[in-house]
Amino acid sequence: MRQFTRRQALSLGLGAGAAAVLAGCATPGTTSVNSAPTIGAASAGEKIRITYWAWLKDLQKVADVWNAQNPNVQVDVVWIPGGNSGGYQKLYSALAAGGGPDIAQVEMRTVPEFLLVNGLVDLSRYGADQYADLYDETLWNQVSFTGGVHAIPQDSGPMGFYYQPEILDSVGAQPPATWDEWADIARELRAAGGVYLESFPVSDASVFTAYATQAGARWLTAEDDGWVIDMTDEATLEVARFFDAAIDEDLVDTASTPYSPGWFAAAADGGIGACTSASWGDALIAGISGGEGKWRVAPMQRWSNLPDSFGSSFLGGSTAAVLANSNHPKEALDFAVWMTTSPEAIDALIEYSGIGWSPAKDEIGSVREGAGSDFFGGQAYNTEVFEPATLEQNTEWTWWPITQQSFNILSDGFRRKASGVSLVDAVATAENQIVQAFRDKGLTIRKADS
Amino acid sequence: MTATENITTEQGPSSRRRRRTGAGSRAGGSAPWVLIAPFLALFILTFILPIIVAIGSSFTRVTRSGLFGEEGVTTQFAWFQNYAQALADGNFIASIGRMLLFGVVQVPVMIVLCTILALLLESASARWPGFFRAAYFLPYGIPGVIATILWSFLYVPGLSPVIDVAAAVGLQLDFLGPSTVLWSIANIVTWTYTGYNMMIIIAQLKSIPTELYEAAKVDGASSWRVARSIQLPLIRPALVLTTVFSIIGTLQLFAEPQVLQTVAPAIDSQYTPNLSAYTTAFAYNDYNVAAAQSVLIALVAFLLSFLFLRFTNRRSS
Repeated sequence: MRQFTRRQALSLGLGAGAAAVLAGCATPGTTSVNSAPTIGAASAGEKIRITYWAWLKDLQKVADVWNAQNPNVQVDVVWIPGGNSGGYQKLYSALAAGGGPDIAQVEMRTVPEFLLVNGLVDLSRYGADQYADLYDETLWNQVSFTGGVHAIPQDSGPMGFYYQPEILDSVGAQPPATWDEWADIARELRAAGGVYLESFPVSDASVFTAYATQAGARWLTAEDDGWVIDMTDEATLEVARFFDAAIDEDLVDTASTPYSPGWFAAAADGGIGACTSASWGDALIAGISGGEGKWRVAPMQRWSNLPDSFGSSFLGGSTAAVLANSNHPKEALDFAVWMTTSPEAIDALIEYSGIGWSPAKDEIGSVREGAGSDFFGGQAYNTEVFEPATLEQNTEWTWWPITQQSFNILSDGFRRKASGVSLVDAVATAENQIVQAFRDKGLTIRKADS
Repeated sequence: MTATENITTEQGPSSRRRRRTGAGSRAGGSAPWVLIAPFLALFILTFILPIIVAIGSSFTRVTRSGLFGEEGVTTQFAWFQNYAQALADGNFIASIGRMLLFGVVQVPVMIVLCTILALLLESASARWPGFFRAAYFLPYGIPGVIATILWSFLYVPGLSPVIDVAAAVGLQLDFLGPSTVLWSIANIVTWTYTGYNMMIIIAQLKSIPTELYEAAKVDGASSWRVARSIQLPLIRPALVLTTVFSIIGTLQLFAEPQVLQTVAPAIDSQYTPNLSAYTTAFAYNDYNVAAAQSVLIALVAFLLSFLFLRFTNRRSS
């Protein structure tokens, strides 16, 4: 009799355990923290700890500056791999498991993806709106959705034109003011000695997207009745046509992507003359062996025949986002705002973490004022090129919930360029696939009225 | 001999006693369960349950309303909708097709290669067989990620001495092009696993009784004849085993293309079935479709292994 009950109890326990596990395995991210009551600030004198998962190097040193001034709110930094190389996977898993850090580094373009899994705290409920004036308008717009503020901009990447004057001089060229001039230089360089002016990454659609953004595209818009997509506007098609022609004419190198090992090798032995890239590219370009003193920076070339285009664009950029399972969202917000706007924190971020462009209005960090490094011949490119560039960006651009998937769809299309599918066709096909991907997620989307 | 006798004499009475008394039989009944409980608990928790959850998840679908689902999220049973979506994805189907092509070429090449190596090392005239066995097996000890990084230095133009030497004699090599990169991956896989499979075959070769070799020698059989008529038929089980493992391994290819992606623009996010499921789950956050993809991969691997075993069994009978 006793044995029977024991077995029964055991099977009951196993059954209940399995049921609990199965219930816990409901598709994650289906409840929103932003409909729950806000969490109050810690009471005065209470000591709390905040965790920050980020892939910036030595970020703890920056947090230590804060920790010294705020004994009651201590910030611990945990390093994670960068973005899609494993960091997001880690964050998504942690969120799905009901845990995760208080703050996470999330790229600007990925903020809506985290919204889709209900992973972010709406910071406007904790008073983030009062800080809006401190930030670059373009960037603040990219973290604001559905009347809320879902992350604090942390760095960005205004774009410029990195070039080797020696190579441009070899065909008597100056840095191009327009993309048409850019194509002329590329053509002359190819004819002169087979040198490519730049490489065009077919496998990384973010660069094409940055060019389209500069041209004035606005691919997705959040309207009251759902998303509106417009990827086949004149601006995007013009950019696609331009690079179709450039690839057909063999003006750009499509075999390597910027900052890949093959690209570094080509750049080091003069096979690549320039790179249109973001402000953070300076640290990477400084890694080209034997490139010391050979590189300069010029403002990005413009789309001369598109009236609504912009002077520059942006590539990359990340935010400090407060995650849904945080117990101290108010303090996390305070830290994020301090870290991204106070001069001491910006300087520390540049010095220790080599962070990208500061999102704070009128505060680029004292290290970046004046003469640049010897690698760029002491050129004061930060104030000459990138600071003005931040004022000439597409402020209307917004990211959307399946940005990464859209980039993959676009890249998959661009890869077919080798087998004869034009970029123009790839963009049009991608638009349809992205619409389908939105609908597969159960989201509402429609094509813009043309 | 005495040892076996001892065991039987000791076991005899005890089992008789167990049968006789009720209390003893109860203890004997639960003892095995207690002993395998640690294994069973882990096995169920980390193996059986995840499979059940994955299958359950593959039949679930999440729909959102509003821009991000802020106006409500519903989870419902979706029948085969996720499977339909996975199968309608041309890139996913293409990845399975790509792996079939890969397997049809790479698996036979590797199996032939490792069989030849095993036979050579086990032949009477082999010099330093121990050294060569270790040397051929060594690549297996190098993690796939590291192996791929190492090989990528031989593949990337500008870094690769192979490409430089070929260019010097007027040969344009492109290891990372859209049509060649698959075979560059096949090369890495073959390099890694040939030695491992060779070891399995050598183990089987060593189990062949020496009498057979002696008899063959007496009959005047050449080494070639010995290999063809004695060794090859007798290592058949090992060949079948390594082939089945290789077929399954082919469908699970992940690390090599994932790492090579950084230098090869031709490798997309859905290059192999596993890469596709990984991207769907962790980059697109669509765990349900990823679960459906994973179940499909498992089914294809099961089907291929089954067909191969059927094929070899029919041929032997």
